[in-house]
Amino acid sequence: MTKEEVIQIIKKNIVENLDDISEEEIDPKKSMRDYGANSLDMIEVVSSSMREMNIKVPRSELSDINNIDELADKFMEYV
Amino acid sequence: MSDILNYSLADFFYNDNPDILSPPDDFMQWINHPRVKHSFTFFEQQLLAAPRISTEILSNIDNKKRKIINLTSYNYLGLSSHPEVIQAAKEALDKYGLGASGAPLLSGTYDLHVKLTRMMAEFKQKEDCLIYSSGFGGNLGAIQGIMRKGDVLILDEKCHKSLVDGGTLAQVKMRFFEHNKPESLASMLEKSKGARTMVAIEGVYSMDGDLVKLPEIAEVCEQYRAPIYIDEAHSTLMFGENGRGVAEHFGLEGKIGVSFGTFSKSFGGVGGFVCANAEIIRYLKGYSSPWNFSCAPSPPVVGGLIKALEVATRDSTLRDRLWENTAYLKKGIQAMNLDIGETESQIIPIIIGSSGEKLMHFAAEIQKRGLFLQPVDFPAVPANARRFRISVSAQLTREEMDRSLNIIEDVIARGLKGEALEI
Repeated sequence: MTKEEVIQIIKKNIVENLDDISEEEIDPKKSMRDYGANSLDMIEVVSSSMREMNIKVPRSELSDINNIDELADKFMEYV
Repeated sequence: MSDILNYSLADFFYNDNPDILSPPDDFMQWINHPRVKHSFTFFEQQLLAAPRISTEILSNIDNKKRKIINLTSYNYLGLSSHPEVIQAAKEALDKYGLGASGAPLLSGTYDLHVKLTRMMAEFKQKEDCLIYSSGFGGNLGAIQGIMRKGDVLILDEKCHKSLVDGGTLAQVKMRFFEHNKPESLASMLEKSKGARTMVAIEGVYSMDGDLVKLPEIAEVCEQYRAPIYIDEAHSTLMFGENGRGVAEHFGLEGKIGVSFGTFSKSFGGVGGFVCANAEIIRYLKGYSSPWNFSCAPSPPVVGGLIKALEVATRDSTLRDRLWENTAYLKKGIQAMNLDIGETESQIIPIIIGSSGEKLMHFAAEIQKRGLFLQPVDFPAVPANARRFRISVSAQLTREEMDRSLNIIEDVIARGLKGEALEI
């Protein structure tokens, strides 16, 4: 799986879990918080994406991640 | 799973097991790992006597009975085992029996419940009050009863799970502001303009022991006309000149819309209370499910709580002792150069850092030496700030505090410096 594909999966799950946002609007250099996500929304996006990719990244490794691009990098370590 | 010890309870919430009555496959693999199992031995240890300071547990470490100094219970004022409280509970038990045997609306309201409700409303200086059988149920039920889909609940990011679950149940939009930062709250309120909005905060935050910055937060809320819901679970009976809580401490009780608290901490019983204006309390009686679909609080507990409130408020003896003890322990721990964060209350964290292994090693040593001080691990606290959390009590004697400080110094302070433990 390429990083672009991983970002695509994250974007799809952001759209599914947040109100009023389309995939085209999402800039991977931004945080989900910038699009109105609260911590519960973020857990939902991260968990849905991981389930789709069949990976399991420990939550303790996600606390220092600042944006969608960094999240994709972390996922890439596990795919 | 790559490294099994990097995982935590935060990682197994979602369950794809086709058998709905089975946990995720990897959950069992994780929880049965010997080192994970070891870390869980600290939980659900049996206390064999009242939660006094010197008490006894059946230790899960070696399955032995052990006399310990208890620095983990929420019995901050010692009221759970206060002789007058026990006597009042016994009298209520004799007169009314064990259970209320009914929901409050039908047959579960006794004269005792009405008395406690009135006392609490008067104490908190609100028009009316509802009492719940559970503190968790009180927060959950108040949020669920007051708020509706389309409303916005803005919470401090360190608010308790019961408030978050209340928001989930009410199907509201939840926004979390950065802990205790008024400017972050203002930005969330700005985004919420046009919607019915309430702001949830706590008086004392339970993992760090810091106080809400109420003057600044109340000012922002006033600017946006958003009512404040304050959870004073860890501050009622302790803060303020009359023990009414952190809102009294800051002289801002008039700025509070809903004042919530639990009966399970300083009161020494169990349950929750919600104090607010009479009309919203009347409305809650119709729509707060944990109140109107639960059995009313047990009469002996209510009898004990009435006495606990009397004892705690007839003078300041208990809270004065609590603050003396807090100052003594804090000074002793700070002298060891341990990280106690930003605590301003009777909750004193000792932050160990990111090593779960160290935390559990210290926890076992502490307990073997006779101190009941429970570890708090991720995800309850950030992964880089695992800790112990002291709950100071008014019951502590100087001798018990000195013994506790010695154990903390021997195990934690010396352990963090890399000195070998004398076992």
